[in-house]
Amino acid sequence: MKLKKLLALGLAATMVLSLPVAVSADEGGVPGYLDITLGEDYTDLTATIKFLHCRTDREEDGTIADLVAKFNETYPNISVETEGVTDYAEDSLLRLSTGDWGDIMLIPAIDTKELSTYFQPYGDLEALDAELNFMNAWSYDGVCYGVPMWGNAQGVVYNKAVFEQAGITELPKTPDEFIADLQLIKDNTDAIPLYTNYAAGWTMGAWDAYMGVVAEGDDTFMNQKFAHMANPFEDHGDGTGAYALYKILYDAVANGLIEDDYTTTDWEGCKGMINNGEIGCMVLGSWAFSQMVEAGDHGDDIGYMPFPITVDGTQYVVAGGDYNYGINVNASDENKTASMVFVKWLIEESGWNVSEGCYATSKNGENPSMYSAFDTCTMLSDQPALPGEEDLLGEMNAESELSFNAGGDAKVQRIVESAFTGSESFDDIMADWTTAWNDAQESLGVEVTE
Amino acid sequence: MNTKAVKKRRPFNVWIKSRDGQKVLVMLSFMIIPLLLLFVFTYLPFGEMFGFSFYKMKYTGTRKFVGWDNYLKVFQRKDCFGALKLSLYYMLGSIIQLVLALYLATVLSFKVKCGKLFKGFMFFPYLINGIAIGFIFKFFYTRGFVFDTVLQWCGFKLDSLPYWLRDQRINNFSLVGTSIWRYFGQNMVLFIGAIMSVDSSLYESAMLDGANKFQQFIYIILPSIRTIVMLNVILSITGSLSAFEPPYVITSGANGTGTYFVVMHNIAHTQQKVGLASAMAIILLIIIIIATILQKLFFKYVFRDAEDDDPKAGIRRDKKLARLAKRSARAAEGR
Repeated sequence: MKLKKLLALGLAATMVLSLPVAVSADEGGVPGYLDITLGEDYTDLTATIKFLHCRTDREEDGTIADLVAKFNETYPNISVETEGVTDYAEDSLLRLSTGDWGDIMLIPAIDTKELSTYFQPYGDLEALDAELNFMNAWSYDGVCYGVPMWGNAQGVVYNKAVFEQAGITELPKTPDEFIADLQLIKDNTDAIPLYTNYAAGWTMGAWDAYMGVVAEGDDTFMNQKFAHMANPFEDHGDGTGAYALYKILYDAVANGLIEDDYTTTDWEGCKGMINNGEIGCMVLGSWAFSQMVEAGDHGDDIGYMPFPITVDGTQYVVAGGDYNYGINVNASDENKTASMVFVKWLIEESGWNVSEGCYATSKNGENPSMYSAFDTCTMLSDQPALPGEEDLLGEMNAESELSFNAGGDAKVQRIVESAFTGSESFDDIMADWTTAWNDAQESLGVEVTE
Repeated sequence: MNTKAVKKRRPFNVWIKSRDGQKVLVMLSFMIIPLLLLFVFTYLPFGEMFGFSFYKMKYTGTRKFVGWDNYLKVFQRKDCFGALKLSLYYMLGSIIQLVLALYLATVLSFKVKCGKLFKGFMFFPYLINGIAIGFIFKFFYTRGFVFDTVLQWCGFKLDSLPYWLRDQRINNFSLVGTSIWRYFGQNMVLFIGAIMSVDSSLYESAMLDGANKFQQFIYIILPSIRTIVMLNVILSITGSLSAFEPPYVITSGANGTGTYFVVMHNIAHTQQKVGLASAMAIILLIIIIIATILQKLFFKYVFRDAEDDDPKAGIRRDKKLARLAKRSARAAEGR
């Protein structure tokens, strides 16, 4: 309680303090993100700015110091102090409420309504969206207050050497090709074609991540349409949609293309196994890639590919931004300008995302080589829910007990069990999910569209 | 106390300084802390939960009063009562566990070489954290790992061995096995403690009467430790109704191993249907109470001739003791 009161007090104080400053900022000459031409503008600006971030590991190994040194080659008079915070998610909120945190921070979990109280706008969402990826996370009323450091994409981790040995020359693009390739791995190598990580649970729930953008090619599916659909799990008949997505898993299990004993899979152990070529592929987000690379001596063998579903000739990839850079709205104009320059430089010129193995925020930015297979794909991130429906998907998830992207591991585990024991056909499971979904819509009074 | 104070017409400040007043004061001040803790951490949350069970609610957000709906749902859903069937596995396990514990306790309460060492070894699993045991057994049952290797030493072929956790016909037995392994040591120590309190001269005289070890067990040990046996049975049965750790840690309740508690945990935490989960908890409480009463009645019936229910038992026991004493005296003379 005390903490809450303190926070509220701090909040009120910063709000009062920020009122006159915010007004002057609008009048003052702080450029927007797109107004700056790197290397030409503000090269003689003198300022000292402070950057608060969560990457203590990169602070310690000198990566961030190197970045700043590189930045100072072009902008010698802007000195950047950095501070890594260990328990960032919590501490940053406290620091934010005190107002004494510096000039640039990674925006913590606050209400989007409060963005303008704390952070300097970068520009209009529409204009920025044309240049940068993943911009909609921290925007309010069409104005952007955050630029993501980089993005994480959802695909499939695979072992290139195993794929080669199996005789797979081209990466699969459809569910049928994928199952055929898994069969090739089974026939031609000793590796486990698809490792489910069934026992860990959350690794099964990870399949939900491919539902909207990847399976439907539609960035409004997940947060806007799904909750209203009468029949979201119907068979489209062309290898797309949620039906096709989960059918891959069912078929892989039914055809014996997964590990021998799925009930005793070991999450820590699987990293070394895929590194050594004992596993063909695993369905995991790009964050897992570097862990698999570092787990053994054959890191070069690890590859990352888009999920094998093609919608109308296009493979879609769902990606989302990581932490966003936010600039202190209460700082002086010089500091705000210098911060804007630094953020733009980090995004466009630093190449930090490449060394971290993450997807570039800038649409023209360089991506790490692991994403080379993604060049032909269309990258989308899920659109936010419509105003007034922010909680709808969450409530549908809870009421239907299917919990898509919200810990609904059991429903995906059920697919594996049913496929293995033959206790239920895939269509039965989908019909059951549809019933649960429709019942939930009914009990919540959700408007249903065909 | 007040009436006392009024009767003796002492003003409060005098009474409080008197011996009686001080006694009450000391009693109250000693009791207030445990009672307060009991109330705050047991009865208050329970009362809250009972209230929750009538609402459709999440942890945050608004609540809607739905009356008995949640209770009806528990009975309508397949997964809730279906999960209770799994308790039968655990009940069977608890019977095996008690028999094993009783047998070993009887053996170890007599002179056995390295008896203390054995006791220590068998009690040890109880000291390990349940989560850690879960992880141990996850590897223990993994294909080709510990259990399979040991069985292969015994001459089994790997191909003929089942998948201990994957095969839905036996995976619940595998899980029950871990809970037997964990708890039989504790039961055994409790039994040994009870058996120690049996007067050892009884064995001597029984031996002289020609009773063998088994008869000694049936007629001397078992009746003497009846209370502790009953306690253990009740604890084991209620424990098997609320089995949680092995399925939660080893299989996370998947593959047909989700017990009532695991289902309840999922409903409460993953689905956040707090009202429904509270109703499940209340229903489980009622089932446990019924099971306990049934067991009490059962024991009363089985041990009908036991002394507590027989007014003449005291006299008979005195006679029996006198007879025994006479006999042992005669035996001593004879020697």
